[in-house]
Amino acid sequence: MIAVIDYNAGNTASVCNALERIGQKFVVTSNPSEILSADKVIFPGVGNAKSAMKDLCAKGLDNVIRKIEAPFLGICLGLQLLARFSMEGDTDCLGIIDNDVKKFNADLKVPQIGWNKVMQCRSNGLFIGIPDESYFYFVNSYYLPVIKETEGKSIYGVSFSSVVRKNNFWATQFHPEKSGEVGLKLLSNFCELC
Amino acid sequence: MLVLPAIDILDGKCVRLTKGDYNAVRQYSDSPVEVAKDFEKQGAKFLHVVDLDGAKGGSVVNQGVIMDIVEAVDIPVQVGGGIRSFKDSKGYLDAGVSRVIFGTAAISDTNLIRKLVRSFGSDCIFVSLDFRDGKLAIEGWTEDSEQSTTKVLKTLLKMGVKTVVVTDVSRDGTLSGMDLSIFKKVIKFGFNVIAAGGVSSFKDLEVLRDLEFYGAISGKAIYEGRIDLASACGSPLAKRIIPCMDIDNGRVVKGTNFKNLRDAGDAVELAKVYDQMGADELVFLDITATVEQRKTLVELVSQISKNISIPFTVGGGIRSVCDIRDLLNAGADKISLGSIAISDPKIVTEASDEFGSQCIVISLDCKRDGNSWKLFTKGGREKTDLDAVEFASLMEKVDAGELLVNSLDRDGMKNGYDLELLTKISEVVNIPVIASSGAGCREDFLKAFDGGRADGALAASLFHYGEINIRELKRYLSDQKVTIRL
Repeated sequence: MIAVIDYNAGNTASVCNALERIGQKFVVTSNPSEILSADKVIFPGVGNAKSAMKDLCAKGLDNVIRKIEAPFLGICLGLQLLARFSMEGDTDCLGIIDNDVKKFNADLKVPQIGWNKVMQCRSNGLFIGIPDESYFYFVNSYYLPVIKETEGKSIYGVSFSSVVRKNNFWATQFHPEKSGEVGLKLLSNFCELC
Repeated sequence: MLVLPAIDILDGKCVRLTKGDYNAVRQYSDSPVEVAKDFEKQGAKFLHVVDLDGAKGGSVVNQGVIMDIVEAVDIPVQVGGGIRSFKDSKGYLDAGVSRVIFGTAAISDTNLIRKLVRSFGSDCIFVSLDFRDGKLAIEGWTEDSEQSTTKVLKTLLKMGVKTVVVTDVSRDGTLSGMDLSIFKKVIKFGFNVIAAGGVSSFKDLEVLRDLEFYGAISGKAIYEGRIDLASACGSPLAKRIIPCMDIDNGRVVKGTNFKNLRDAGDAVELAKVYDQMGADELVFLDITATVEQRKTLVELVSQISKNISIPFTVGGGIRSVCDIRDLLNAGADKISLGSIAISDPKIVTEASDEFGSQCIVISLDCKRDGNSWKLFTKGGREKTDLDAVEFASLMEKVDAGELLVNSLDRDGMKNGYDLELLTKISEVVNIPVIASSGAGCREDFLKAFDGGRADGALAASLFHYGEINIRELKRYLSDQKVTIRL
């Protein structure tokens, strides 16, 4: 069973719709034992880092997430919250990845809204069957720079991490659930990971 | 990272030197102004101009040509070469140059640099550091180079300098690739570094981007076509093709003639077809009048959201933050506001604060009125006194995320989008602009993206009646070098 983490910045509806379309069973939950016993965990996120972290801490989910051993997929803000710190509201985040999230500077339109290319830096389970440099749908004003955990990167003025992985923690800056066919493929790939 | 094409001026002409050698000159153009205009057209966001005669002689020489460039382009320009005094700098900055760059020789005058940074700010005063064979090259310096480099960099920091142009003279104009160690040495001190010398391919730019350089200057590689400015500077986002559906009481009206569609009026079925055809986004405009039918809309949005995996916008008659919340909760990605944004612009800020500006689209109904455009309200039935371009700019200020620009003159005419209107609006705002009304053929889409600078282009019956197939349209645009998701 897949657990989709439910909290105030979750916007779980689109992710759940996409999981239904690819025929996956899931439960939307903020219950720690349900999350920790799931085969896979999806951590969606839209909105503001500060209020998201506040809500996670209030629900005790920050510590739960750090303990997860099953394959984990953070989406959008769900990627940024894995970082040590975010410039958005000067927020201390989960610290699973030891780098900081920065704001795009304004020589391009911010937020980045639209379809951008993902360059695959390494082959991995998420990219199976997805051509290199495929377009995915992004909505973000902040970014994680290219770091050693970067698996896929994109360019928006700067280079930034569009897919990262540290151990069992995977995350995408784009919204696979809104990225058409390749997005659904990436989600099913995640569901197939062992 | 800024990618700065370089215009080096010697004797009024545009040239490149190799390794800074005035005997190894190659002329690229008689007219630096034309080169500057061409770079701007290709998408450059900033120009790097060097007065080579000035650099050689130690005083400003080509100021006239440089001011012509500043006049001729709308993008900012930074200038170096021969600038040695407060007066030189003030002259350039007062005349519209955005940043002046001091040469290595000026470093010894610490008081001058300090005074300049204090007067004009560190965003306007840059210092250029030339490295030759890995060592900082300063006229008359005989000290041990490692020590002196550290000393110079620390002194610059103390003077308040934030940004330095680091030129690897040994590689400049050689197209031989970069020696990163030099650039990294300087970036360690905490400067914003603009790298120059040997930046000769797209790959080099990528390396500098990954290392979070502030900027990269390239000359010969751009002149000789090894770096394509348009793709190095422009937005990497794909231009969006957006079918628009009018919805009445939960069904698509105006009709469609898709074969194999059980019911051409079924919005969900049609949305699925467009998703499969490669549409980048969908827009649903509700033309329903009554409150009961509104509930049908929320139910419809939830059905659409279950069946497609691309973003979609819902608009038409939305009056309150509460309406917006219901539709977003039902699965819409963006909400388009029309008349309400005119009568009550506050709602735009309120909605952006609550849901994020990325999901608030403002739909503008514009009609030409002499040399300008007036805004219409109530579905185009009522004229207002508002100037459409000014209103577009106001909408960005109240935190709209995107603008949907409709032309009442062009609607249904199939004679092309109103490019002039699109350009005017694109010039004043820094949020995405979607072209709407008037598309009749695939060239119209190309013009909206090229001439009109639109980020997306919307059409309705053209797609519904299969006059243009989305897949073929996207292939055509991609062949025409438009960034498109295929």
